[in-house]
Amino acid sequence: MSEEAGKVMLELDSVWLNYHTGKQTFDHGTHHVLNDVSLKLYEGETLGLIGRNGVGKTTTLRLMAGILAPTRGQVKVRPGKTASLLTLGLGFKQDLSGRDNALLAAMLQGSTRRQAESFLDEIAEFSELGESFHLPVKTYSSGMRARLAFTTALMTHVDILLIDEILSVGDAHFRGKALGAMQNRITGEQTVVFVSHLADQVKSLCDRVMWLDHGKVVAVGAAAEVVDAYSEKMTGERVIKNRDVPE
Amino acid sequence: MARMALRADASRFFLGYVWWVLEPLLWVAVFYVVFVVILGARSEGFLPFLMVGKLAFVWFSKSVTQASNSIITGRGLVGKINVPKTLFPMAVVQEGLYRQIAVFGLMFAYLLVEGYPITLTWFYLVPLMIVTYIMIIACALVGACLVCVARDFSPLISLGMMFLMFISGIFWDVRELGDPQKVELILAANPLAFLLDGFRQVLMHATPPDLLHLLIVGAGFGALFWVMVLVMRRISQYLALKVLTA
Repeated sequence: MSEEAGKVMLELDSVWLNYHTGKQTFDHGTHHVLNDVSLKLYEGETLGLIGRNGVGKTTTLRLMAGILAPTRGQVKVRPGKTASLLTLGLGFKQDLSGRDNALLAAMLQGSTRRQAESFLDEIAEFSELGESFHLPVKTYSSGMRARLAFTTALMTHVDILLIDEILSVGDAHFRGKALGAMQNRITGEQTVVFVSHLADQVKSLCDRVMWLDHGKVVAVGAAAEVVDAYSEKMTGERVIKNRDVPE
Repeated sequence: MARMALRADASRFFLGYVWWVLEPLLWVAVFYVVFVVILGARSEGFLPFLMVGKLAFVWFSKSVTQASNSIITGRGLVGKINVPKTLFPMAVVQEGLYRQIAVFGLMFAYLLVEGYPITLTWFYLVPLMIVTYIMIIACALVGACLVCVARDFSPLISLGMMFLMFISGIFWDVRELGDPQKVELILAANPLAFLLDGFRQVLMHATPPDLLHLLIVGAGFGALFWVMVLVMRRISQYLALKVLTA
C-alpha cells in the first residue's frame, strides 16, 4: 500500500540473533532465533507479524523496542522516535493495588509522575474495574488483569507501538471495546507492529504482513495475500499430517 | 519504586512493618544465647557490642544478597521495556536504607537505655552511613551483574556473605587481637571490618573514625559504583538476553 510513499520509521538490516544456552543443544549450545531478517517499517502503517509459536515474533518486537540487541546486523530507528512494546501485564507487582501498578507502568514507559497520575482516572474508567482498582493485583481474576494491562498500555503515547497478542483477552464485551479503541489508534497516524494468531484480525487491521518461520522471513506483502498463503500452508500441513497417521 | 516495594513487602505478612526490626533482633538474640548464655563469654557490654556490629552487617549483607537477584526477579519487566538494569538493584538498596533507619533508631534507643550517652561524636555516623551506603550500592551492582551472567553466582554470594560475617569482626573485637600490626592489616584489607569498627567506636567509645581511611574507602567504592553504572548501561541488552534466555 503505502510502501514507498511514507518515510521509514524503523529498519531491520539483515538482523541475526543467536544466544548460548550453556547446555549442548544445537551448534554446541547456540540457538539461532533470527536468521538474516530485513524489514522496513513506514510511517503511519500497520504491519502484522504472523507465524507459529517460537519462530521469533516476540524476539523481533523486542529488537524493535531496543530491549535486545542483534548479534549481527542493525536495528535503525529514525532519530527522535520511540518504540515501545505493549504486552499483557507489565510485570505486575502482585502485592500492590491496580492503581499503583498502573502508575508504575506509566512511569516506566517514560511519563513523569504528574502525567502518570493524570492518566489514572481514565484508566480506572476505561478498565471498568470499579472498587477493585484500589485492591492488590493478586486478588484479580485473569480477565481483570487483562483489562488493567490493556488499558494501561492504551494510555501510553509512543511513536511506534509494538503490540504482542494483546487483543485476544478479556470477556466479549471488553474485547469489543478494546478492539474499537485499538482500531481508532491504528487508523490514525500511529505506526504499529502487531502480532496476532487471529487471521481475520490481522487482515482487518494491518496494511502489510510479514510471515516468519524458523527465524526467517517467508513472505512480506499486502495483508490479504500473505495471510491467505499462511492459512493455506497451515491447513495443508494439517491435511498431510492426518494422512500420515496409519489406519 | 522502593517505597512501593516496601509497602508491598509489609502488606504481605501479618506482622507487616514489625518484621523489619524483628528479624535483625532475632539474629542478635541467637548470638546472645550462643556467646553469652552457652559459651559464657564476656558479658559486660558484649550485647551492645554484638548488636552494633551485627545490625550494621545485616544492612550490608541483606541488601547486597537481595539486590544480586533483583534483575532476575524483575525479568517480567526486563522482557517488556528497555529499562536501565541498574534500576532493580538500586531499588532494593534504597528499600534497605529505609529499613535500616528503623533498625538503627531502635538500636540507638537501646544504647541510650544501656547508658551510652549521645555525644557530639555521633555526628560521625553521617559520613559512616554514607560510605557504608556507597559500598553497599557498588557491591549490589557487581552482584546483580554477575548473577545475570551466570546464576551460579547467586549461591556463591550467599556463601561469601557468611564468610564475610566471620572475618569482619562481628562477634569478636578486631581491637582485642593483641598484635597491633594484625589489627592494622585487617582494618586496611577489609573495608567492612573497618566500617563496623567505626560504628562501634562512635557509638560506644565516643571516638571518631579515621577520616582519611573513610574517605579512601568511600572514594574507592564510589569509583566502582560509577564504573558499574557505565558498564551496565553499555551491556544493558546483553544482560536482558541473559536474563530472558538462561
